[in-house]
Amino acid sequence: MIGKERTERAEGTERMQKAGKRGRAWAVALAAVVRKEVRQTLRDRRVMFLLIVAPLLQTVILGYAVDFDFENVPTLVVDLDRTATSRMHARRLLADHTLQRQPGGASVTTATAELRSGKAAAAIVLPPGLERDVLAERPAEVQVLLDGTDPNRAMVVASAAARYFGETAEDLLRERLARAHVPPPPVIRAEPRALYNPGLETAPFMMPGVMTMLLVITTTIVTAMGLSREREMGTLEQVLVTPIPPLVLLLGKMTPPLVIGCFDVFLVLTAGVWLFGVPVSGPPAVLAAGTLLYLVCTLGIGLLISSVSKTQQQSFLAGFLFIMPAILLSGVMTPVQAMPAWLRMVTYVNPVRYFIEVLRGNLLKGAGFADLWWRLGALGMIGVIILFVATMRLRKRMA
Amino acid sequence: MNAIEAQELTRDFGATRALDGLSFAVPRGQLFGLVGADGAGKTTAIRALAGLIALDGGRALVAGRDVASGGSLVRESLGLVPQQSSLYPDLSVAENLRFFARLFCLPKQDFRERSARLLGITRLEPFAGRRADALSGGMYKKLALACALLHRPEVLLLDEPTVGVDPVSRRELWALLHEFVAEGMTVLLSTPYMDEAERCHRVALVHEGRLLLEGEPGALLDDFARSPACRQTAPSFETLFLARLEQADRERERGDA
Repeated sequence: MIGKERTERAEGTERMQKAGKRGRAWAVALAAVVRKEVRQTLRDRRVMFLLIVAPLLQTVILGYAVDFDFENVPTLVVDLDRTATSRMHARRLLADHTLQRQPGGASVTTATAELRSGKAAAAIVLPPGLERDVLAERPAEVQVLLDGTDPNRAMVVASAAARYFGETAEDLLRERLARAHVPPPPVIRAEPRALYNPGLETAPFMMPGVMTMLLVITTTIVTAMGLSREREMGTLEQVLVTPIPPLVLLLGKMTPPLVIGCFDVFLVLTAGVWLFGVPVSGPPAVLAAGTLLYLVCTLGIGLLISSVSKTQQQSFLAGFLFIMPAILLSGVMTPVQAMPAWLRMVTYVNPVRYFIEVLRGNLLKGAGFADLWWRLGALGMIGVIILFVATMRLRKRMA
Repeated sequence: MNAIEAQELTRDFGATRALDGLSFAVPRGQLFGLVGADGAGKTTAIRALAGLIALDGGRALVAGRDVASGGSLVRESLGLVPQQSSLYPDLSVAENLRFFARLFCLPKQDFRERSARLLGITRLEPFAGRRADALSGGMYKKLALACALLHRPEVLLLDEPTVGVDPVSRRELWALLHEFVAEGMTVLLSTPYMDEAERCHRVALVHEGRLLLEGEPGALLDDFARSPACRQTAPSFETLFLARLEQADRERERGDA
């Protein structure tokens, strides 16, 4: 009996020693793959450019180029009244520089032609008899022609014109009541106060979007192409006849893009803070957790793409096929709430959506774990599922 | 005791049967040659023995273990030099060696000794710092061989190792293989060159995924010289194999009719 126990104990110890040896062997192999990947990445100038310089360049370019704060919209003033009143309204309308007067616009016909040619984005038509109607206290109509091909810009012009003529009508009414010695009616004024981005600037809104887009582009495509490259070169087979388990190999291949992705976040964030005044209001731990979980998702998607691609070219194209809709359905550009209900459903499985919400919440609003836990949870869940499916597919393919 | 056993290996790629019940055995310490024309199934057989492709039928055993279920134990006992490139072109000779040594978890001291010896016998020592993509065809093959031998495998599989290699490097490669076999290693290689068959201890002619002929080169030639199919006084392997291939084609045509 005692002899049997001893034998079992000895067998157990032997199993543990074997498992320990195996674990050490895997750690050594993992370190070798990571070292090799880092070495290859550092030596490949194109990849280095894609991973380090391109994100920085794109951050700067996108930060300056993408600006929803429209100013100096080229506008024609078609003054058909040619009176002191019409000239005064034209001058006041352009005073805040939202609209910038363009030469031309002698008539509605020429103004329409100039809108078509792109010389102007809007035309304000002050009708004949405007002064006469205003003095006679009769209603008057000012026509605003808009180039609707750019809806955002058109909306800016429309609201600037509506705001100006609304305020003018209110002033005229007040003057009329004052002349009649009637006290003006009480006014309910809205006092907008923008929280988290008081200046309503575009850069703090866009910078998290830029970070989200750059990370998904660089990490997904680099991961997807990395494995396809090994397959194309024949090195993958050579590695697969060594004792390294496929899972350890995949882990090793994912580690450098993960580290580079974290570095990219730091780089882009630094540029955002320094150049565009993006605030970092929330706890950095939430930012770090969100970034790591998001990278697990993007790297998993990269692996999944490489599991269905045979060549680097296929991986690259498949990467873009995923990235474009993922960005469009994330809320980076347009709010998710503005999408049709069926498309909103799709956004629930889109990791890009959750990361942009985590970034904007954390950086701009100062949100912590308590506010963002379910988004972080969703990112984690999507990441684990994608990574599991990708590794299973690759393991099967490698085996 | 056999180091390699191919038992009725069968593998289809779509409608094409690449291996059609291929069977052979290689005793320990022998140099075994798989000879055949392009598309005969040599590469598929080697890939099946290395565990790189699953079989539709049959069993492959390496060092006494089933390749399909042997896992890392099988991989630790074999070295593979594939037909095409298998090394990292942007890593140097030394870096490639170090990488593969780490995958086999070779202790540092072992690696230093082993790589020094392999670099010495392959004459790659002066090129240790050179990138793999800057090596000549022959040097590249020698490096692939060195990487496959780092962990002292019991069995070495080489898929057409002399294709694209100049005659001098080819002679050196064969000398190295004989050296390894003399040390007790089992080597299985495939070659499309009939003259290389003579250099093996045993040779197998493969055609359309089937074994047509197997034996010691000398005995095969003697048998052929005595057979009515031989019309030459000094038959070569080329005539022997061509005669056997023609016979196989005739037999198949008769079977089809």
